[in-house]
Amino acid sequence: MGNQKFIFNKLLEIFIIFFVILTLLFFLFRLSPGDPISKIVDPMLSPEDTLHMIEQLGLDEPVHTQYFIYIKNFFSGNLGHSFHYGEPVSNIIMDKLPCTILLFTTSTILAALAGVFLGKISAWKKGSGIDSFLSISALICHTLFIPWFALLLLWGLAYKVGWFPLGGIISPELWIENSSAFMKTLDVIHHMLLPLGTLFFIHLGSYLLLMRSSMLSVLREDYIITARAKGLSERIIRDKHAAKNAALPVITSVGLSLAFSINGGALTEQIFTWPGIGRELIFAVSNNDYPLAQACFLLIAAVVLIANLVVDLLYAYLDPRIRY
Amino acid sequence: MAILSVDNLSIGYQTKKGMLKAVNDISFSIEQGRSLGFVGESGCGKTTIGMTLMGLLPDNASILSGNINFMEKDLCDFSEDQWRNIRGKDVAMIFQAAMNALNPVFRVGEQIAEAIVTHNPAFSKNEVNDRLKKLYNMVEIPEHRISDFPHEYSGGMKQRAIIAMALACSPKLIIADEPTTALDVIVQDQILKEIKKIQQALNMSLIFISHDIAVVAEVCEDICVMYAGQIIEKGSKREVFTSPKHPYTKTLLSSYLSLDSDENILIPDMMETPDLIDANPGCQFSCNCNCRSTECSKNAPGWIDISKTHKAFCCEQGLSRTNNG
Amino acid sequence: MHKNHYLKRFLKGWKIFIKNPLGKAGLIILFVFMLMALASFLVPLLGPMYDPMTGTDPNIKVSTGPSFSHWIGTDNVGRDLFTQLLEGAKVAFIVGLSSAFISIVIGTTIGMISGYAGGFIDAFLMRMADIIMVMPSLVILLILASIFGQFNIWIIVFIIAIMRWPAVSRIIRSQTLSLKNRPFIEASKVAGASNFRIIFRHIMPNVLPLAFLYMTFRVTSAILVEAALSFLGFGDPSQVSWGMMLQWVWKTGHMFQAPYWLMPPGICISLLTLAFYLLGRAMDEVLDPRLRKEGQA
Repeated sequence: MGNQKFIFNKLLEIFIIFFVILTLLFFLFRLSPGDPISKIVDPMLSPEDTLHMIEQLGLDEPVHTQYFIYIKNFFSGNLGHSFHYGEPVSNIIMDKLPCTILLFTTSTILAALAGVFLGKISAWKKGSGIDSFLSISALICHTLFIPWFALLLLWGLAYKVGWFPLGGIISPELWIENSSAFMKTLDVIHHMLLPLGTLFFIHLGSYLLLMRSSMLSVLREDYIITARAKGLSERIIRDKHAAKNAALPVITSVGLSLAFSINGGALTEQIFTWPGIGRELIFAVSNNDYPLAQACFLLIAAVVLIANLVVDLLYAYLDPRIRY
Repeated sequence: MAILSVDNLSIGYQTKKGMLKAVNDISFSIEQGRSLGFVGESGCGKTTIGMTLMGLLPDNASILSGNINFMEKDLCDFSEDQWRNIRGKDVAMIFQAAMNALNPVFRVGEQIAEAIVTHNPAFSKNEVNDRLKKLYNMVEIPEHRISDFPHEYSGGMKQRAIIAMALACSPKLIIADEPTTALDVIVQDQILKEIKKIQQALNMSLIFISHDIAVVAEVCEDICVMYAGQIIEKGSKREVFTSPKHPYTKTLLSSYLSLDSDENILIPDMMETPDLIDANPGCQFSCNCNCRSTECSKNAPGWIDISKTHKAFCCEQGLSRTNNG
Repeated sequence: MHKNHYLKRFLKGWKIFIKNPLGKAGLIILFVFMLMALASFLVPLLGPMYDPMTGTDPNIKVSTGPSFSHWIGTDNVGRDLFTQLLEGAKVAFIVGLSSAFISIVIGTTIGMISGYAGGFIDAFLMRMADIIMVMPSLVILLILASIFGQFNIWIIVFIIAIMRWPAVSRIIRSQTLSLKNRPFIEASKVAGASNFRIIFRHIMPNVLPLAFLYMTFRVTSAILVEAALSFLGFGDPSQVSWGMMLQWVWKTGHMFQAPYWLMPPGICISLLTLAFYLLGRAMDEVLDPRLRKEGQA
């Protein structure tokens, strides 16, 4: 059906874009000043190992051969060795990915739901005290500088009051003691609340504002009058007829603001020492661990492209006018 | 016994420049099973009347004076809950389909069923479906289109679906506000016949609002011509059409082209639109009237009976002058 | 006569703008920050001790709170925080405005070409815009930093601009599309004007007001990205900025002890972003009458 063809085309496109990104990265890397070998091969290796590595990566070959080896390595899952960990980067990033996905999807979904709900109320009660309160708070959330907001939460709620841990994802002693799975889950949630709260509030603001303005324009549509003329109750008009239409642009914006969210996600992970991809990337860049940084970057790019596909499909599912 | 009678109704919009009187002291009534048409240019207040009868005036509009008697109840002091009870059940509205009157994200059948379920909460799912099918047959849309989305309907079909929606609870009074304006002529004709047929078959009362006097003539038995918030001539279709009295009605009819006559069509220049916020004390049409006297803009005109059913809102001299000229 | 027309339009817009309370608030905040940025040029007059980067107070060896000689305190090596804050305002303006300006230039040019040319060029450029639009700029700056090492401030500005043109070009493109078929464009085509001339003489003046509206939103994101980059420690090391101040308070472990150090830069970044955002919203209302009505009713 049309849908399958659409998904196939999109996947093909994602593949091509990914290939372009890989190529760009390769050439930018060769263009950079200094010795590429020192950036890609761990300086701590013994001379024999270094030679072996150079041979394996084809660093002594001409550029085009290097390029083919690079592409071949990538598609066979060989992303290089991390200097710092001394193991294949693919292992490292696969360890970190679940943590990022957990934090990221939870916060995005919660913020989108809350934003749609509160934006709906705000638009419905336009001009009231609730509306002013919600839109001004949303405006403030939207313009807060993420790292600063995170530091404030850390300072206030973790350091001063002590309700939350200062960082990390688990309390190690709990895991050594062999506690129950329930306790462990609770522990992870406890650690997650602050970073989750940071990302939640930051995203809530923009979703709320968007839903509010989208809802206001939907409420001027003729089908809202039609719904009233049928004698429907105001609650049904608001929650069914208006909200579903108004939420569509919010879904699009989840896709478009993904870039913004990922920036915020990386900063949040860094401050709360949440062991995710974003923090790993920052760590790799600070420690000149290029193979690790490159892998993190490629993973993030892939996640962005796939997430946008998911948003496209979700939108098509919700809006009957769009069928691919 | 009239099902609806409106007496001395005035409606104003609160604007930044002052109170805008969109409807000014109008009276009319409609019997069970009759059809009444409102004709006038845009901005003359005809849609405002329709919205008032549905209780759907925007927040900045209010009823200034007069009363509306519908099925022996005064609609003017209805609460929102009371309105919700009769809306869609006793009085329903046919909107213009081209204007997005159907919600794009719900199936058409579901939107019509909503109207049935709201007023008949006890209906079972089967009863609702039966009613839905009956409605679709009535407006001649194939039953299998019930579960389609609005964008899958053609313009004419959307309009039929909207008619079906208005008929959902067999209302006593139907208000049709420019229902065919955006449709092409052939479809327009089909829809008008459809409306007329159903109205007569179900013995409902119909108020038909349009800027197109030909369309109104096709559907309605009685006609009210409106100008600047006032009714300026009313009578049966034949009376208004064959012997228009008010200068504005004549203008309106003469701007309606006809191939039969070789006469030069004289469309008078309508230079000014009357100011509805700061209205002049005399006749609102005087600024454009081609047979006005100096008195016209000072003294308010009165109703002049031409026959038992035919009336014009003008001055004696005006009527006689036009007759000669 | 032509100039007069623009002036009139501007004055009319200004009247609507100034009635909007949020827009006015934005303008006032912006004005304060501008004064701060200007004041940073006076700092050298106070002597080397107040230099935001190198000046240290010889009497102070640890971070201290507000005092008479250091209005909001000093950092852990005795540098004055207030002059750093002033310097940060200057940097934020430079980064924000210049990066927004570059992205507007790129975005407008590409948008006009794309809309005017149509066909394959249009499809290609817009697809590229879509892809760049969803790429996280901070992450890209990080990977580039890991390849090339630390950047100076102008390169950061330029990279942010390159990441941020797509949204502008989308809007300019749709504007161009609607202009393209207007009679005056057709007329100049018939008169034999070159495509180049049509784009820059006839289309550009009509899309520029819109482009400048979008500039305010670009300023916001540029300031935020630069601050985030500096906060992570990959900013221009020779340039004090608000993000860097936050990095220092965090890295030196003073965030729990020195609220006078933690608070000001964060408040400044957030407020300046807010100001540009409010300004953009208010300008939106000037250009789009529908929004204006909504605000009043």
